[in-house]
Amino acid sequence: MELSDILLKVQKPARYIGGEQGAVIKDKSKVDVRFAFCFADSYEVGMSHLGMKILYSVANSLDWAWCERVFAPWEDMETEMRKNNIPLYALESGDKLSDFDIIGFTVPYEMCYTNILNCLDLGGVPVHAKERNGLKNLVIAGGPCTCNPEPLVDFVDLFLLGEGEELLPELLELYREHKKLGSDKQTFLKSAAKLEGVYVPSLYTVSYNGDGTVAEITPADGAPKTIRKRIIADLDKCHYPDNFVVPYLDIVHDRAVEEIYRGCIRGCRFCQAGYIYRPVREKSAEVANQQAKCLCENTGYDDLSLLSLSTSDYSQIDELLAKMLPWTEKQKIGLQLPSLRIDNFTDELLEKVASVRKSGLTFAPEAGTQRLRDAINKNVTEQNVLDTCKVAFEGGYSAVKLYFMMGLPTETMEDIAGIADLAQKVIDLYYSLENRPKGKGVTVSISCATFIPKPFTPFQFEPQNDFNQIEEKQKHLRDCIKSRKISVSLHNAGTSLIEAVLARGDRRVGEVIYTAWKKGCKFDGWDEYFDFEKWKEAFNECGVTPDFYAYRKREYDEIMPWEHIDLGISKKFLARQDQLAHKSISTPNCRQKCAGCGATVFGEGICCETC
Amino acid sequence: MRPVRVYYNKVGKLKYISHLDINRVMLRMIRKAHINVWFTEGFNQHPYINFALPLSLGFESTSEAVDMRINDDMTDDEILKRLSEVAPEGMKITSVCEPVKKFSEIAFADFAITIRGDLSDKLNEFLAKPEILVDKKTKKGGVKQIDLKEKIVKYNVSKANGNTRLDITLPAGTQENINPNLILNAFCDDLSVESIIRTTIYDSEMKIFA
Repeated sequence: MELSDILLKVQKPARYIGGEQGAVIKDKSKVDVRFAFCFADSYEVGMSHLGMKILYSVANSLDWAWCERVFAPWEDMETEMRKNNIPLYALESGDKLSDFDIIGFTVPYEMCYTNILNCLDLGGVPVHAKERNGLKNLVIAGGPCTCNPEPLVDFVDLFLLGEGEELLPELLELYREHKKLGSDKQTFLKSAAKLEGVYVPSLYTVSYNGDGTVAEITPADGAPKTIRKRIIADLDKCHYPDNFVVPYLDIVHDRAVEEIYRGCIRGCRFCQAGYIYRPVREKSAEVANQQAKCLCENTGYDDLSLLSLSTSDYSQIDELLAKMLPWTEKQKIGLQLPSLRIDNFTDELLEKVASVRKSGLTFAPEAGTQRLRDAINKNVTEQNVLDTCKVAFEGGYSAVKLYFMMGLPTETMEDIAGIADLAQKVIDLYYSLENRPKGKGVTVSISCATFIPKPFTPFQFEPQNDFNQIEEKQKHLRDCIKSRKISVSLHNAGTSLIEAVLARGDRRVGEVIYTAWKKGCKFDGWDEYFDFEKWKEAFNECGVTPDFYAYRKREYDEIMPWEHIDLGISKKFLARQDQLAHKSISTPNCRQKCAGCGATVFGEGICCETC
Repeated sequence: MRPVRVYYNKVGKLKYISHLDINRVMLRMIRKAHINVWFTEGFNQHPYINFALPLSLGFESTSEAVDMRINDDMTDDEILKRLSEVAPEGMKITSVCEPVKKFSEIAFADFAITIRGDLSDKLNEFLAKPEILVDKKTKKGGVKQIDLKEKIVKYNVSKANGNTRLDITLPAGTQENINPNLILNAFCDDLSVESIIRTTIYDSEMKIFA
């Protein structure tokens, strides 16, 4: 059967046809480097990812390169493709993955690792790096998860660490030269390892101690001992897309997105994003406004979202809103301000958010008691939560979603009970207000994720709670909830364990990923596909114990599997922060006082303003 | 404010785009073309646009129409020009004019269907049967048996480059709607269909809808 026949047999064929407005079409005979940019999840998820939109635009700004998009086909489509021998193809040209010079994956979460293998396999590309001998089909990867690239080294030839706007074109250029010279893969890789921010895992050997911990990571062939991530010095001067590929389908985030700054001043101790994107660098309100306007104009979107780790921490937020509100209101464009913090969420801000369209409110206190919030450095108070809810209720909202984590270091049953208490206080507050929305009941939805220790956070040393501990805590939380106006959703414990292993895994975890994939694991981030039994079998067959990676307390002097990756965050700082957590002492944010994380080495952004 | 009817073709890859998605495509086109359309005034204000007749996924069409209301005095020609500039590949704006009849008056449609292989004799034989009984899902979720034969207004089977061409006129619209796939599936359940194109829509008196 032809592709055109298959497309009418699967759900949402628009995922697989390309041809969207804003897609870049080039003449393949006239480009030197063909780059397949893959997102190893569904079209709707991948097309929502800003990083991919930026790098697609950056790579296609080079007239000698053509960057195309590849997404993981949904199961119905994969079945048809395999049955009819149709390899995974890029949406722009329709050419199969194995036709491409470079195949790049952005890796935003651990639970897509098996999908990476599946995409390569479906595209007719050997999944193991050592089975790909030529320069063609070079597999590269980048994105937040690659701050610990070790579980993926069996499959990926090289990693780009940090921000890619400058590094990706440099790598493509180097590839172009070597392709012209007819270099072999090894020559190219050695040369690429000299670019700052490029990690070529095959140039490093890892040895282990008797107890299973890493003994030494040794570079060869002149590769650097540590690889430092790349950052963009000035966001105002950095390439930002003036148009997006606008999908026909309704995707997860179907709107214009304007990034306003990178990094986060807060340093919540569980949050990987709060550390790996340092230092904080802001885009000017002027540039952000112009870019956003241009994007709305070119895409035709009637929704615009500002993007950062914490919108209300943007120092120029008032100035930016003053610039944006006139034209967004006039053109009836909905302006969304996600990631607002509860400690600086003002009446005024709420009014601005609600001026076009009113959506639900979500806050993330993360922990139930002040003691634990101090320990995790989430510097919000109960009063902050209640004050914000008061503003929201008086502004007409009657549903609030509260995000918490369970299994945080130093957590006790008292902290768990605190989650239920806080939710109850929000309910009581609602009924104490005279000007609450008339005739409406209040609902508080608690979402409780299992804490997963991540590399490059102060909690990278900490053990994850095991199944029994989590189960006990979940039961306790349910017992503490008295009101039927409070609903609770909890995370799958199996998923959390696998994510914990993949996050802090070493090179030996690669075989487990391969084995799990061979057993049929894919789309692990989707509850309906996640198969914990298959993962357990895979661990058993490979002789790898998940407990070693997830449940073990790591000493401050233990060599981490990612010890050779330098994100500008010092291990000593992380250890210091972990010690403070155990004393429930919080750390002031970067704007108040430099905490000495090490990101000053980059000499950019907020580090230069405060030091 | 004046009402405007936009006619367009939806062909090629756009056949994989659902009716709901075409709605969003049209809204974005209107924005990009800077056409000053009238917004609804309710709680959730949105541009008022109204499509003639949904088109099944997988069908092409040369007879699509959408209504909107224009706040200023932009001419039909200007609207046609501007929408054409921002239309995706596969969508051709064919005309813009003042609406005459209501969409609810649409009653029939012509379909041009190409089936791979020469099945013209068999298809003629099938369509000549006195009755063609099939089960059709009702809106309420039940199933009822209908006779397709009595629904077919007219048809013609011909040969085209080794393929089979079926031109057929069927009830279409809010009152009664017969999807040509019902007939094709009743004829043979693993037919290789090259294309189904809705070519013309009519009112209840079989006059071309305008």
